[in-house]
Amino acid sequence: MEGLKQALSGVVGDANVFDDPAVLESYAADQSFVLPIRPKAVVRPGSEDEVQALVVWANQTGTPLVPVSSGAPHFYGDTVPSAPGAVMVDLSRMNRVLKIDVRDRMAVIEPGVTYEQLRPALAAEGLMLVSPLAPRADKSVVASLLERQPTLVPRMNYALPEPLRNMGVVWGDGTRFSTGESGNSVLDIDAQWNAGRRLTDPKGPAQTDFFRLLTGAQGTLGIVTWASVRVQLIPGAKKTMFVTTDTLDDLVDLSYRLTRLRVGDELLIVNGTYLAALVAADGAEAVALRASLPAWTLIIGIAGRALRPEQRVAVAEQDIAAEVAARGLKLQNAVPGVAKSRIEAALEGVAPEPHWKLRAKGAVADIFFHTVLENAPGYLATMVDAAVAHKYPVADVGVYLQPQHQGVSYHMEFSLPYAADDKADAARTRALYSDASTRLMAEGAYFSRPYGEWADPVYNRDAAAKDALRTVKAILDPNNILNPSKLCF
Amino acid sequence: MPISDEAYAALEAIVGKENVSRNPAVMDSYAFQWLAELVRPELSHFMPRPVAVVMPGSTEEVQAIVKLANKYKIKVKPHSTGWYHWAAPMYDDKDTMQLDMRRMNKIEIDEKNGIAIVEPYVIHAQLHAEAIKRGWTCNIIGAGCSCSVVAAACAYMGMGPGAYYMGGHAENVLGMEWITPAGEIVRSGSLGSGDGWFNSEGPGPSVRGVIRGALGQRGGLGVFTRCAIKLVHWSGRTDWPVTGTIPAYRLPVDETQRAYTLAAPDWDRWADLYYKIYDNELGFIFHRQFNLAGADLAPAFWLMYTDPTKKLSDVPAMVADPEIAELTEEMRISFQIVLSGRSVADIELQDQILDDVLAETGCWKVERFCDKDMAEFTNVYLQRLGHKHINFVWVGGYIGSWMQIGTPDWVKGYIPTAQAGLARDAKDGLLVQCGGDAMMGPGSSYPGGGGVGLEQFVSYDPNDEASTRAGIKHMEDAITDALSIGYPPGKEAMYLEMGHSDDRTFKKWAAAKQPFTFIFQRKIKEHYDPNDIGDRMYNYIPEEYEPAK
Repeated sequence: MEGLKQALSGVVGDANVFDDPAVLESYAADQSFVLPIRPKAVVRPGSEDEVQALVVWANQTGTPLVPVSSGAPHFYGDTVPSAPGAVMVDLSRMNRVLKIDVRDRMAVIEPGVTYEQLRPALAAEGLMLVSPLAPRADKSVVASLLERQPTLVPRMNYALPEPLRNMGVVWGDGTRFSTGESGNSVLDIDAQWNAGRRLTDPKGPAQTDFFRLLTGAQGTLGIVTWASVRVQLIPGAKKTMFVTTDTLDDLVDLSYRLTRLRVGDELLIVNGTYLAALVAADGAEAVALRASLPAWTLIIGIAGRALRPEQRVAVAEQDIAAEVAARGLKLQNAVPGVAKSRIEAALEGVAPEPHWKLRAKGAVADIFFHTVLENAPGYLATMVDAAVAHKYPVADVGVYLQPQHQGVSYHMEFSLPYAADDKADAARTRALYSDASTRLMAEGAYFSRPYGEWADPVYNRDAAAKDALRTVKAILDPNNILNPSKLCF
Repeated sequence: MPISDEAYAALEAIVGKENVSRNPAVMDSYAFQWLAELVRPELSHFMPRPVAVVMPGSTEEVQAIVKLANKYKIKVKPHSTGWYHWAAPMYDDKDTMQLDMRRMNKIEIDEKNGIAIVEPYVIHAQLHAEAIKRGWTCNIIGAGCSCSVVAAACAYMGMGPGAYYMGGHAENVLGMEWITPAGEIVRSGSLGSGDGWFNSEGPGPSVRGVIRGALGQRGGLGVFTRCAIKLVHWSGRTDWPVTGTIPAYRLPVDETQRAYTLAAPDWDRWADLYYKIYDNELGFIFHRQFNLAGADLAPAFWLMYTDPTKKLSDVPAMVADPEIAELTEEMRISFQIVLSGRSVADIELQDQILDDVLAETGCWKVERFCDKDMAEFTNVYLQRLGHKHINFVWVGGYIGSWMQIGTPDWVKGYIPTAQAGLARDAKDGLLVQCGGDAMMGPGSSYPGGGGVGLEQFVSYDPNDEASTRAGIKHMEDAITDALSIGYPPGKEAMYLEMGHSDDRTFKKWAAAKQPFTFIFQRKIKEHYDPNDIGDRMYNYIPEEYEPAK
């Protein structure tokens, strides 16, 4: 162990190597059902050079490396080692906002930059980043984008990896690389920036979308050391509106129409349980709230940017109202039973501790996948059937639908809170999680981010993808150093 | 050498006798490709001749053909609609069969979800026509509506005048069906899992990242047999009531749309205007289109083109007309924009904001080109991109030089050099003298803005040796000019590369800033193309050129 510590200290310095059992234990498990495995050490590199040196060392010694950028709680098992003897590469020290350009609306950040950190930095320049729903304060922006977490503004989700553009990466074989536009010239961000390049085009270099290989990779192919992201102007005027219904089906046609028209900023559908969890201060309030909230709520953020923002909002509201009325529904200024400001805070801010998904019962299992909207009611019925079969309270199932890629596909999420310290509840929820996932997959739900136990069935359905990804893995990480045993590796 | 009788018979067995040919005259018709004279010995108009042309009718037939090609060690080069000389076989000394995809031409539109699934010979005009009827529209690539959607989305770039709002095909492709050179089928994203054509990413790392990047494989690594494309809402009339006299079609501008030509007094304010258009989220189609005729000639040309009483030979006199001369100066730095609103109130507000932006930047609407006749012509031209013959109109051939893509501020940095370079190279009259600025291109090749590119249209006579040689010299000069101001080479470098040997090209890539890119691609090629039936249109460097780490 001392030899290991010495070797790691040689790369990142004594102060950035940790082998205290309590520290190691904090990385050994997360909120998911994956098997806990304690890492051997934790290192916190401070630079791209140090990351590269760590990868080279790991290749020489055959040591698995598990990259992690965000603070706890983690939810999906991707940052829990799957192999013993791993070293966690905690990138939280690499937390510089390297560039912000207002005119070109681009920013360059390191992987340790969190939502809590980036939001004020951008706001000071009149800019904002389209974000996921209520991210935790210490969630890494880069990690969130690499995970392809759904973001809130479908019309600005030009492609599913948006707003992620270029990246610096150290591949598993130790090669340092720049993706996209940045990979076409001298590999120095400052030099590129000074030459007027703003690292906006994510594609390439050449005939490979390297950035796409890194998304959804769970740190198995490379360690990202910086990323450029597209940012937006902060709206000059904003308004949040709602449509509430008794059934999900009643919102399907309207959501199709609004995404098609690209009207509004935030657009999402939640059931009462999910909305209650999002805004409640604690579990008791969540339970009380959900009884009074509508069964389903479509949340619509309307924004106006740059010139005449108030008029933009007014015209958008008028257009939305016409579409809502045409479907016999009502556009509302508030959701009965909850203060509007609490919903707006969830849309615009970072989530306070403890994490809102954990407030109800202390633990949560999320099932999420992509679908076209018309199939969502069917998947909901399947989920309810599965919950009933496993005697899981249907009222506890939170449901979230997030249009992505300008409305072509939807992130659909079932959130299953449970009491971690209640073994029976945990076992029941785990069984439901597995069974419902299997059923949904069989019905065509696309598990595009196959964490944990989803990986095997997903890749068994797509042998060509498995072959392609294993080929890529063999090129980029030939010694299988990076987060081994995840996905199909 | 000719294809063997045995291999030929095997091809006939797959697709039927009527769908395969080795007739020399037919083979020459495939070798005759635009730009060939710029890169071939003795300025020949012919690229290497294929040994056979085969027309598959299904994915299964493509797969069978590719497996046969492996057996007989014949290279395969798919061709849907073709654009540029690299659509042809690349080698005189290596047998290549050309796959003509014209029998695979089906369109399926999922109206509910706004998704079109197309086969390789579906051209953008067909998809657009079918989409419009259903209240949808689609991005049409800059090369025009006569080009294959699959080729643009999977095998080349896929950007166009609508990419700024609609997304280019790189952003819009929702699934790809790819027959690898080894004859295996790879389907990307949700399609690969059997879940439908709605998500091109994943599972996990996106397999599509292997299949296409900034460029597609340009026929160098297998064959694409289908893809799905995201459609875009169309707020106008679904009966597409085109009027006008051929070829100056006109499309009435709907009450929720506007079609304008805007102009700037200088390139700084041109860039300012682009940024403000981005920030104010204006624009449905946004392109510098008319200037492809050259800033000195464009106004006269388009007024001639849209006037049924005028002909091409009238242009010189029109240029000399004082009114047109004034117009030429008014719109020297100009571009086209089509606005589209969700509603009348929305488009009226967009109009007001555009006026605000023009006032802020000191730019203006070119009134003559915003008059009803020119607005309607602009509308159909930009919406459908069906006037690609214009590209060749001056003397029968053109080269696109420059076209480096970046932010407006970055692009404006190369404009003076590109202008001076063309003026210099056209001085002796061997290239069309249009004033130095024949630059055109998208307001943004990437949705939401930020990716302008300007392609210099350099017109030469492909049947005149001196003019063709001047075209070649211009391409070489453009590379030198770009490097002299710290910009990378543009499209001309890609064109010229077709005339280089494999050895020269591989050495160039091995010396790239990131040769790892091409090492990675070689390893992908080794996996998917063990018998080397593709060509170097999929860029890679062989092992012997691998640079030291």
